[in-house]
Amino acid sequence: MSRFEALLDAFFYRPDEDVSGLLDFAVGSDGLSPRVPEEEPTEYLAFRLETECYAVPILTVREICKVPLLTEIPRAEPQLLGVMNLRGELLPVYDVKLRLRLSEVPPLVAGPDAGLPPKAARILVLKTQDGPAGVWVDSVAGVVRLKPSMVELSPAGLRGDRDCVAGLGRKGSQLYILLDPEQALAP
Amino acid sequence: MTQHGGKALAEFVAEATEILDALGRDLLALDEARDQEADPEHINGIFRAAHSLKGLSGLFGQERITQLAHAAEDLLDRLRLGRLTLDDQVLDALVDALDTFQSLLGETSRGEEGEDLTQRTRAMEERLARMGSPAPPAEEDPLERLELDVQVRAVFTEYEEHRLRENVRRGVALWRVRAAFDLTDFDQGLADLNARLKPLGEVISTLPSSRPGGASGIAFDLIFGAKVSAQALEEGLQGTPAELAPLTVRPAHGEPSRPVSAPETVSSLSPADAGVTAPDGAPRPKRGKKKGTRVRPLSLEAGPPQALLPADTRAPAQDAPSGSSHGTPGLVALPTAAASAGSPRMKAVAGPSPTTLGLQSAASAPLPAGRPRPEETSLRSLTQTVRVDIGRLDGLINMVGELLLIKANLQRLAEASRQDGTVALSKLFGQELSRETRQLERKLEALQEGLLEARMVPVGQVFDKLARLVRRIAREAGKEIDFVSTGGEVELDKLIVEELSDPLMHLIRNAIDHGAEGPEARLSAGKSRRAVVRLRAEQKGNHVLISVSDDGSGIDEARVREVALSRGLVTSAQVSEMTRRELLNLIFLPGFSTRSSVSALSGRGVGLDVVKNNLGNLSGIIDVWSERGKGTAFHLTLPVTLAIVRALVVGVSGRTYAVPLNSVLEILAVQPDDIRTVERREVLDLRGQTLPFLRLGRLFHLPEREVNRHFVVVVGLAQQRLGIAVDELFGQQDIVTKPLGGRLSGVKGISGATDLGNRRTVLVLDVAELLEEGIAQERRRA
Repeated sequence: MSRFEALLDAFFYRPDEDVSGLLDFAVGSDGLSPRVPEEEPTEYLAFRLETECYAVPILTVREICKVPLLTEIPRAEPQLLGVMNLRGELLPVYDVKLRLRLSEVPPLVAGPDAGLPPKAARILVLKTQDGPAGVWVDSVAGVVRLKPSMVELSPAGLRGDRDCVAGLGRKGSQLYILLDPEQALAP
Repeated sequence: MTQHGGKALAEFVAEATEILDALGRDLLALDEARDQEADPEHINGIFRAAHSLKGLSGLFGQERITQLAHAAEDLLDRLRLGRLTLDDQVLDALVDALDTFQSLLGETSRGEEGEDLTQRTRAMEERLARMGSPAPPAEEDPLERLELDVQVRAVFTEYEEHRLRENVRRGVALWRVRAAFDLTDFDQGLADLNARLKPLGEVISTLPSSRPGGASGIAFDLIFGAKVSAQALEEGLQGTPAELAPLTVRPAHGEPSRPVSAPETVSSLSPADAGVTAPDGAPRPKRGKKKGTRVRPLSLEAGPPQALLPADTRAPAQDAPSGSSHGTPGLVALPTAAASAGSPRMKAVAGPSPTTLGLQSAASAPLPAGRPRPEETSLRSLTQTVRVDIGRLDGLINMVGELLLIKANLQRLAEASRQDGTVALSKLFGQELSRETRQLERKLEALQEGLLEARMVPVGQVFDKLARLVRRIAREAGKEIDFVSTGGEVELDKLIVEELSDPLMHLIRNAIDHGAEGPEARLSAGKSRRAVVRLRAEQKGNHVLISVSDDGSGIDEARVREVALSRGLVTSAQVSEMTRRELLNLIFLPGFSTRSSVSALSGRGVGLDVVKNNLGNLSGIIDVWSERGKGTAFHLTLPVTLAIVRALVVGVSGRTYAVPLNSVLEILAVQPDDIRTVERREVLDLRGQTLPFLRLGRLFHLPEREVNRHFVVVVGLAQQRLGIAVDELFGQQDIVTKPLGGRLSGVKGISGATDLGNRRTVLVLDVAELLEEGIAQERRRA
């Protein structure tokens, strides 16, 4: 801490006060270079859909559960797989592969003719503006920490209305496609 | 405002809502009794309510409410002490103040403080402060005529003195009721005596008696104004230690010289005189025979009210006390006329009468500037609380206690079976287990029933609020309305009652705005001047029927047809095949409104389709009846509760669905060749009537399975019937329906989902919507 900064602190410091302007001034006055801010990594939950690796911000994930019995909703949109009962709460479960063009037809996972779900498959319960919703994933890969410098966000203006890919993350050789949950689950 | 915790604020809102409800009830009672002398009990009730509201809001720092409550309390205090007469203006101001309170509370509960409302509150305060002219000073204090000790009079409070004066002036028989009680239980005895006296008249004051009450006793003098004869009073007090002594009132001078007996004398009087005498006579017949002879040498014989009230006497009666009172000195009866300025009016629900003014006079009164115009008022309560009788809660707690016992027993059995390990369980064990399960089932059922009961509230809660609304709407629309509501005691789930308030409000607005004609139009159509709007509730099995009806002009179906065609809602081919009933039901289509001009009341873009949707959410259905010139009625059919319903579990193509049993009429087994096709649509013959029919599997696009017979579940709501074909029946079960809220609210034909106990989610069919779809399909194909 520079001398001037310390003086300022002693006289003016209040925890809730915004003193950044003064600090900038103080930095200039002592002729010291500003410190490089520490890069805060963000945690993402990575999962697989078909062969691709996707990730969503971990703060949007409420929980991960095994695939329960799903009840199909008649005359619903194709990407709605059905509803599940999670400890007494009724949640819709969606298939995002259709929207990501990873598959052509929705999988038959609900109703009496559905087989057992694959062992690795999970339901991610995501928090969205319209309430919690389940998303079918083929397997969960784990938590990755991505620093802002490792993420290449698609500029919001260039993304289409229904584009649910928010950007790309790269860690080592692994590429993560970052999903925007709101867009992916929009009706 | 936000520094208070959310919980404290919620408590404040809940409590304030209760106070306002009580205030509203008393205000309504005053309003209904416009023609009679205001019951001091009601005014006192309102005063107390305003007072507690002031205290409460002060405690919570709700500045605006405190201020307004203070102004209202002030006004009411003046009313209570007779410094102000309760006329229409005052009553209207109080009703408006109540509206303002409601809005303020609404903002408070949302944590807002809007500038508009603050302005309105200020204006309201000023209006209350300016309100009314003082009651005319009596030429002679009637209390002087009462033979009562000066010492006794000295201890009266201002209010007691006022009530006493009022009673003397009205010529009520006054009694001193002297009663001596033992010191040990005098409070109980006194309360008992008060309870006995209450229905017989008014206890004006309770004073310690000057006569000693014996060694271990205490005696009281109650000053009592009796509504009944001396004999009835004596009978009523039998068994109590009370002794009666009449308080004599000297006749007022000038009074005996005024014979008021024959109607013709009255009608020949000048308008001013008639205005004075009429109110004196008019309310009398309602109150029954007065025990007046002992106190007053001359009892007033009441003439027929119509003779006493020729049209031209209305004006002086209305603007007494300010105008005519000074012009007629010397008439002692005058203060009575002033005090009951509203008395010539008929009761709100009193039937036709040539002198009826009631709401109409309020309607024609110019709207004072600054009158609040609540635009989007909702009658929903601000709080989500239910008051539960403590006895019911005790019962529930007891049941939980018994459930715990059963749990202990089951635990013991489980432990025993675990220790026995592989040893085959004895028969005795099985019997014991099944006995415990039966017990458990019974107790759970009782618990469920108890909880459901606790959720029940009388629909009267909403009816009271609506009655207040009618007053305002009628005034705004300039119509004369008698509002009759019955069946307020019918109980419904709290949730349904809440959700019902807005649709009902809309229907009532419609009835007044579109249904009821103006007074002139009614007279020329040969009807009585005042339109009647009825709100009726009755229980029918596990449904409640609520109807909103008017005796207005009815719905013009030709106009309905025209509008539906011009808006492209139906084609002319369809219309030509429609029955009258079907035509009338077109008014529920979205985008339909017969009125070309959008009025402030109804037709604000929110149509009957919204009402219908709201009811659909409650599993209810709406039906309309109308006859030209006779009126319109909307019938609402609602389930008693939504929380737990009994359902029929059915299977279609391997899927399981639940159908609420309250809409199932019967179940038929049908061979495939029983199904007939009429004009390419499938129908069933049900006892000679054709029944519209749909296959659930086809409707839901499920893979069809070959079956050798169908089960047809016949569902019906109101007059509509539909057969729904399913493959299998699995039996009945109690279900708790969870709504498909949020993301799934757009799904058609499904009202929710439930858990049948095998961890599998089962969808619950929305019968009202399926009916709708079945009927619509028919219409399309027709």
